[in-house]
Amino acid sequence: MRKAIAPIVALIVAGAGLATFFALRTSPEPVTSTYFLMDTVLTVKTTGGDAATINEHLHALASDVDSMTSYYKAESETVRVNAAAGKGSVSVSPEYAALVKAAVGVETIEHGRTFDIAISPVSSLWGFTTKDFRVPAAKEISDTLAYSHSDQLVISGTTVQLRDPRARIDLGGIAKGYSLDVMEEYLRTIKPQPRQVIVDFGGDLLLYSGGRKQDWKIGIRDPRGQGIIGYVRSGDAFVATSGDYERYFERDGKRYCHIIHPSTGYPGTLNQSATVITDIQPMHGAIGDALGKVFFCSPAETQRSLFQTVQGQGIVGVILVDAAGTQSTLGPITFVPTAAQ
Amino acid sequence: MKRSDRITGVVILAAVALVVVFWIVMHRTPGTLAVVQVDGKVVATVDLTLREVQTLRITGVVGPLVIVADGKGSIRVAEATCPDQICVHTIPARSPGDQVICVPNHMVITIEGEGTGIDALAQ
Repeated sequence: MRKAIAPIVALIVAGAGLATFFALRTSPEPVTSTYFLMDTVLTVKTTGGDAATINEHLHALASDVDSMTSYYKAESETVRVNAAAGKGSVSVSPEYAALVKAAVGVETIEHGRTFDIAISPVSSLWGFTTKDFRVPAAKEISDTLAYSHSDQLVISGTTVQLRDPRARIDLGGIAKGYSLDVMEEYLRTIKPQPRQVIVDFGGDLLLYSGGRKQDWKIGIRDPRGQGIIGYVRSGDAFVATSGDYERYFERDGKRYCHIIHPSTGYPGTLNQSATVITDIQPMHGAIGDALGKVFFCSPAETQRSLFQTVQGQGIVGVILVDAAGTQSTLGPITFVPTAAQ
Repeated sequence: MKRSDRITGVVILAAVALVVVFWIVMHRTPGTLAVVQVDGKVVATVDLTLREVQTLRITGVVGPLVIVADGKGSIRVAEATCPDQICVHTIPARSPGDQVICVPNHMVITIEGEGTGIDALAQ
């Protein structure tokens, strides 16, 4: 009998040891929180650290950016600048001035003028600010275009001025990406560090692991259906997508999306979607967001030359679906299409 | 055939059967549960494997929504009181990770499941 007990005891000890080993190895459960702001959904999924508190703080940071940049909210810096159009300069916060400068900086890197924060009077003509959609007359568009240009914008230190009384700026095209910048800046300072944080702000992403994770799998949404067209592997990054499938209206069988080409005053029609991946550096969330619109509004030739220009400035890669539905990529990224899996 | 060979054969067959069973368990049809949330709180879950039409009436932030599962694995918003009707025009959700969102109502339908294997969806 004695002899038979020994192996059983050995088994129990080994089993307990293994169980402890696996219990210690198991990852903490992720905490997912959903919030609604900036006319979209913010979903934060944090694993490790004080996850619930981190999620709440990330939401508070996004709310602060909304209060600062909103086109609608009374007392936002954008509303103050717009209200003073044609009257004089407005003193703004250093953060706001830096964001406006970053936006104008994107406007100057490309040649086709495909991003402009001062295009908003034309967007309003199409009804995108009120959701009262209509197709404006060509004359209305050309008249409005005359003053819907960042030439109207004078930035000096932390003062901003719009020259024409009809000119308006709207930071909606860069505010989500900028929120991700602010969130990343905060995440870096937390102790102890969370294992990983996934921020999805209306489809724009921040993937954060403090540089530990190199194999994030980022699905690219199918612009003409549910599901994905494929995925990209990446380290920590900002991912911004501009597409014609989320906010648009249809008239006489034609689709009019919310991204207005600032040179023509008409919605972009050359692409269905453009996804820009940028590395984790200050303001790269905002710049990636703006570049998404630039790639979305540009033809293929310009996209390639533009990528040459911005490569090496933190732009990791771009995934494109053109108007015909053809997929392509720019940069040293590995895109695995769904069909090839 | 020796007796030991027969035992080996049975052991191999049993091992193969075990692997097949595991494989089936691990690759169950994904996307079988739809989770409906309002303001971040789960208000309903819908089993999409049921072969029958299920109609769900919930209250969002601005008003009622009618959600319909078609009995063929898809779920959509059929009616909503929101001004833009984006949720009603969204393609029905059926695969894990698919979502139908109504921003004015703070309502999100998400298909649960491990089918996609992606960390996040760029859209």
